[in-house]
Amino acid sequence: MSNFQAAESLPGDLTARLADADAEVRRIAVMELPYSDEDDILPMLLTALADKDALVRAEAAKAVEGFEEPEAVSALLGLLHDPAEETRRAAADTLSELKDDRNGDLLLQAVGDNDPFVLAAVFRALRPLRVPGSLAPALSGLDHPSPQVRREATGVLGYLKHAGSLGPLTRVAMNDPDTEVRRIAVGALGFATDVEVLPALTHALDDSSWQVREEAAGTLGKLKLTGAVDHLIAAMGDRYWQVRVRAARSLGRLKAVAALEVLSAALTHEISNLRKEAVIALGEVGDPRAIPALETALKDPDPDVRKLTQLALKQIQSANPAR
Amino acid sequence: MTYATQRTTVPVTVDEDKCIAHKGCTVCVDVCPLDLLAIDMLKGKAYMKYDECWYCMPCEKDCPTGAVHVDIPYLLR
Amino acid sequence: MNIPEPLMMETDILVVGGGTAGPMAAVKAKEKNPKLRVMLLEKANVKRSGAISMGMDGLNNAVIPGHATPEQYTKEITIANDGIVNQKTVYAYATNSYRTIQELDRWGVKFEKDETGDYAMRKVHHLGTYVLPMPEGHHMKKILYRQLKRTRVDVVNRVIGTRIITDKQGRAAGLMGFDCRTGQFTVIRARAVILCCGAAGRIGLPSSGYLFGTYENPTNAGDGYAMAYHAGAELANLECFQINPLIKDYNGPACAYVTGPFGGYTANSHGERFIECDYWSGQMMWEFYNELQSGKGPVFLKLDHLAEETISNIEVILHTNERPSRGRFHDGRGTNYRQKMIEMHISEIGFCSGHSASGVWVNEKAETTVPGLYAAGDMASVPHNYMLGAFTYGWFAGENAAQYCADTAAGEVDQAQIAAEQARVMAPLNCSNGIPPSQLEYKLRRMVNDYLQPPKVTRKMELGLERFAEIGEDIRHMTAADPHELMRAMEVQHIHDCANMAAHASLFRTESRWGLYHYRADFPQRNDEEWFTHCHLRKSADGNMESIKRPVEPYILPLDDEEKTAYQRLRVVKEAANV
Repeated sequence: MSNFQAAESLPGDLTARLADADAEVRRIAVMELPYSDEDDILPMLLTALADKDALVRAEAAKAVEGFEEPEAVSALLGLLHDPAEETRRAAADTLSELKDDRNGDLLLQAVGDNDPFVLAAVFRALRPLRVPGSLAPALSGLDHPSPQVRREATGVLGYLKHAGSLGPLTRVAMNDPDTEVRRIAVGALGFATDVEVLPALTHALDDSSWQVREEAAGTLGKLKLTGAVDHLIAAMGDRYWQVRVRAARSLGRLKAVAALEVLSAALTHEISNLRKEAVIALGEVGDPRAIPALETALKDPDPDVRKLTQLALKQIQSANPAR
Repeated sequence: MTYATQRTTVPVTVDEDKCIAHKGCTVCVDVCPLDLLAIDMLKGKAYMKYDECWYCMPCEKDCPTGAVHVDIPYLLR
Repeated sequence: MNIPEPLMMETDILVVGGGTAGPMAAVKAKEKNPKLRVMLLEKANVKRSGAISMGMDGLNNAVIPGHATPEQYTKEITIANDGIVNQKTVYAYATNSYRTIQELDRWGVKFEKDETGDYAMRKVHHLGTYVLPMPEGHHMKKILYRQLKRTRVDVVNRVIGTRIITDKQGRAAGLMGFDCRTGQFTVIRARAVILCCGAAGRIGLPSSGYLFGTYENPTNAGDGYAMAYHAGAELANLECFQINPLIKDYNGPACAYVTGPFGGYTANSHGERFIECDYWSGQMMWEFYNELQSGKGPVFLKLDHLAEETISNIEVILHTNERPSRGRFHDGRGTNYRQKMIEMHISEIGFCSGHSASGVWVNEKAETTVPGLYAAGDMASVPHNYMLGAFTYGWFAGENAAQYCADTAAGEVDQAQIAAEQARVMAPLNCSNGIPPSQLEYKLRRMVNDYLQPPKVTRKMELGLERFAEIGEDIRHMTAADPHELMRAMEVQHIHDCANMAAHASLFRTESRWGLYHYRADFPQRNDEEWFTHCHLRKSADGNMESIKRPVEPYILPLDDEEKTAYQRLRVVKEAANV
């Protein structure tokens, strides 16, 4: 045979390689651990998380993903303070993969940390766990000087869907200096159940950033707030077609008869995504007065628009059986 | 039957200064879905043994030292 | 000559293929009955294998409550597949798809969500909303491996299967194959076998001429189709080929459906849209093919009209997940989405029910027609099933195989089949005077392009069968220098089987259906009277290929006239608009 060997059968006991003097040998052994036949790899990973070499620690922080044991979580929380950036990042990424809400308490112990990186990572890890205890710290996180922390804290509140955070989220959506924080807050308001959030969302339709305006137009449709119709109609004049697409979709969801004119006008816009969305919305509104405009759209250059126009016309007919 | 030896450029190249196969690393060899890479046991370095590449990149992405580079095979370029 | 002893292994459930459906089947079998021994066999390494070796950028058939209903989805697939559908199988997928998503979510797969944690759906299909992006889909394989380890599935890498073992009652009883590194012939006895071997993606030759520049991961050579055929299983609607719209030469998906929500679309050389819907179907490929051949061709993916921030967003999605070398290809050609449209082409032919409908026949329990033999994923006959369908049917296969093992005792195996298979498989290593597999494969696949690529023509397909028969003679005298080349030699035989099946199945159905997938130039009309039926292919008692009609199962969700006419009207309008 030739001078190569089946790689998966390379010699070298994994345990010995994990303790090798050469950091690169240890690092490769750590990479292999999750794929090895060893049954109980957690103790080995914990040792590697405390390795003297930063790259070995970073590799271990990646390899420990999927372990929800408190020792692993504590070790990762510790690595958020690691001197090496790569290790800190790996630890933060792995923490964000946690699924078990029983780890909420451990994470909550770290929310008093002064380091913005650590705090942001902890909030990011808390978000999918949706533990009630994260409400208070996330609310105070909204006033943190670091935008990164405020983004993650806002995210936690959106996932928690706790009525008590609607007021603070409204404030953030209207006033936070950071665009991304405002956008997340506007999206987070999507769990509201009453009109209390309407002023904040309509305010966001006039935000200086189009991404915030886009998010607001979408959230208003998700909430089906009838009081938003006039504002969404105004948003159909936004400079950005992305905002108008969302506004059109929301006007359709709201079955806003008042929007007939702006939606019909959008049927001649150069971007076909917007024409498509306007056609769908006109179908959902179901008002026969849209028929002439839709009949023109049957000759649209985009076949997708033509097809959706057919469906919209059909929808209007079945909503108005008398005709 | 008589056979010819034809040369062909291979899409996957390995920077031997960076490759740490001699330290027990076989990541690129393990992840290749077509089993095209091998370790040259004399040099202790990985290399592309067969020109049957799908340019799918796990060998490059998973290499711990950034030693592996995948080019689009010449016929497709 | 000394015949080396085979390596003998034993398990309860053997899952063949560690890509998408396979790991799910293995995990679910083990969860159903942890006492069973479950082995996952993979010819590469489960770490990075199968169609999703680098991950996936989104689900395109997610049936999520509030966005779509199983009933609506089943009807749409029925229409998209020209009515030739076992609705029960599609409906079983649709009602369980959400459970699969939630399980993957629990396992750590990240789906796109809005800021309150609700799934963020996007629209592509005709009526419902089925697209759920996966912004970090490249973690997929790692997540699956973790579940295999958790449930203690035995993973065996680098062993390629060549034939199913059957017992004296004709039931699946294991598998034979060999280690592609050592050449060790391997016999695995099992009480149930689940085939998850992916599409047959190496039947046709890409227009680049590079054997491995295929649309599918080229390890998916059709092993599962060939093994199921030789085990006596029926294969369904193989003439409904897989042909996909692709980036020319790179031969990877252009992903118009990913760019659609951002404003990208498939255009002709005038930059005009011409396709009804970017959702892949035979009809869509027919429109694509016609435009490609027309004076307005070729066809492009158009993004150059989009805003900078939109394009950079698209680049991140397209260049990091499913086929990350795409960016490198564009760089080499100096193609920037901002300035140039991207030239597209159509792929070589293949079998894949994940994208179209050509697969080993299975029912809603993932059972094939051979007792104890299951199939899931791209190679199993549930149409348009994609990745989520592979996971869902893998789940069904695992649980049902576990149940089967509880109810069934192991049968007796005739040892002669093992000796015969060992002799067949090892022959190329002992032949020092034959044709190498790569030369054979090139010629075979080139002939497939010449004679089977649609539009299909009767006389051409008959000539193709003649050429395939000649190549079959050469295959008997193939040489292999090492175990790696022996793997390629066995794959060539699987490809040869698939090429024969493709021609045979296509000749049987004397009508046109499924747009370009089965367009027969000498039978250009759809003929519902005679051909509103499934066509199955199997190995007859005398060892020949035979085709039979199987009636379409009564619909559980009949399409009312209004639903049918809605679609008919659309097509008329489309044709009128083209005049």
